[in-house]
Amino acid sequence: MMKFASLAFALSFAFAPIANAQGHAAPPAGQAVDIITPHISDSKHIEIPSFVLAEGLAREIELPHWAPVHIGSVTIDLSPTKHVVMLLIAAVLCLLVLITAARAQARHAVNNGAPKGGANAIEAVVLYMRNEVILPNVGRHGEGFVPFCLTLFFFILFCNLLGLVPYGSTATGNIAVTATLAICAFFVVEIAGMRALGKGYIATVVYWPHDMPLAIKGPMTLIMTPVEIIGKFTKPFALAIRLFANMTAGHVVVLALISLIFTFGSYLLAPVPIVAATAIMVLELFVAFLQAFVFTLLVSVFIGQIRESHH
Amino acid sequence: MRSITARSISLFSLIALVAPALAAQEVEAKPSLLSPNTGVMAWTLVIFVVLFLLLSKFAFGPIIAAVAAREKALEAAIAMAKADRDAAALLLEEHRKAIEAARGEAQRFIAEGRATADSMKAEMVEETRKQQQEMLERARRDIEAEKMKAIDELRREAIDLALAGASKVIEKNLDDAQNRKLVESYLATIGAK
Repeated sequence: MMKFASLAFALSFAFAPIANAQGHAAPPAGQAVDIITPHISDSKHIEIPSFVLAEGLAREIELPHWAPVHIGSVTIDLSPTKHVVMLLIAAVLCLLVLITAARAQARHAVNNGAPKGGANAIEAVVLYMRNEVILPNVGRHGEGFVPFCLTLFFFILFCNLLGLVPYGSTATGNIAVTATLAICAFFVVEIAGMRALGKGYIATVVYWPHDMPLAIKGPMTLIMTPVEIIGKFTKPFALAIRLFANMTAGHVVVLALISLIFTFGSYLLAPVPIVAATAIMVLELFVAFLQAFVFTLLVSVFIGQIRESHH
Repeated sequence: MRSITARSISLFSLIALVAPALAAQEVEAKPSLLSPNTGVMAWTLVIFVVLFLLLSKFAFGPIIAAVAAREKALEAAIAMAKADRDAAALLLEEHRKAIEAARGEAQRFIAEGRATADSMKAEMVEETRKQQQEMLERARRDIEAEKMKAIDELRREAIDLALAGASKVIEKNLDDAQNRKLVESYLATIGAK
């Protein structure tokens, strides 16, 4: 039964991009068409299930186009895209799941009992992330960072998982999304540093060793200060690229495997790529959790590092 | 490919520094996987911040508070259980001592009872012996008295018999010449007076 479900899953995945490609510019006969890039990149339309046979399995819905907003010299096109829709869905799912769990807890807290089922699972995840990942890394008095890190975790997790659902798309496979999350993390880390170190925060920007003679101190400061500053930006940069690349790579592999069927043009060969793609999908499922975890873990570690850094 | 990547990376790092400054340029650039769309960035920021505020207020706050409350309740329950156990242990110790004391008491009672019984037995045996002795003494005295009485009786009887025999003999000997002579001589003495 499970095997059948995953097969159907993989198949729906396989057909969606084809419908997509066909819906677009009809490719010249016999010429290779890139179905992977459109699938993993952002677009102005979303796919929804279609039950009309002539349309295939998916129907495209054009998202509204809004006039770009001008803020001073900056122009921002705020018209929603596929990934924005996915972000919204992920956020709503986060709210639904977590607030439902919180409600269940509040209900059970009255008689000092633990909730059962889903609420208990969410509680277990929240508590694990809080007690084993976030608090030990951000250091003492780090309770204030828990909601931020937990929000990061669940938001990224739901975004990742939505990419594995048929008709879904991985918002965390968009560099804009991961970059924004990383920038948020960057600001949280730096502000945490400022609050924890006070004036000492300057020492994390300007390298100024106290235990060296002035003759060495000068050049060292000149050399090391840029390194310190670059170090501040490489951390969120790495966060953004890691999440983006992980989320994109899995999808590329799955799509490439499925495309093998069409490359060889043989249905007889189909089972092999499908089995392989299913295996990759299972791996993707794991990676979805892993990358959300890694992002949260690293943000906690960065917060802890800057709060503990006494030069 | 490498040039695109390099350009995107430098673009991205610039954007990370001064996010909105290059936005206009970015929108017009040819869409690529690595070129961030400022609109999506703005959406992400808004969605993330709103989600953060809502979740920390309505989800994580209550969940952590509930867990903390439960932990506190559990700790209280454990502390209470510990206190109860200590009290129970104390009580048990007390009871054990009480039982020990009671056992000693019982032992003492038994010993005392046995001693009392022994002394009573000895007393009773003594008493019995004394009574027996007394009874024997009395019996002996009675026997003695009876014997004396019997002897007296016997003696009286013997005297009577002897007297009867003697009177018989005297009656018979009275008309004897000798007796006459005796009487006469007796009379003679009287006459001489």
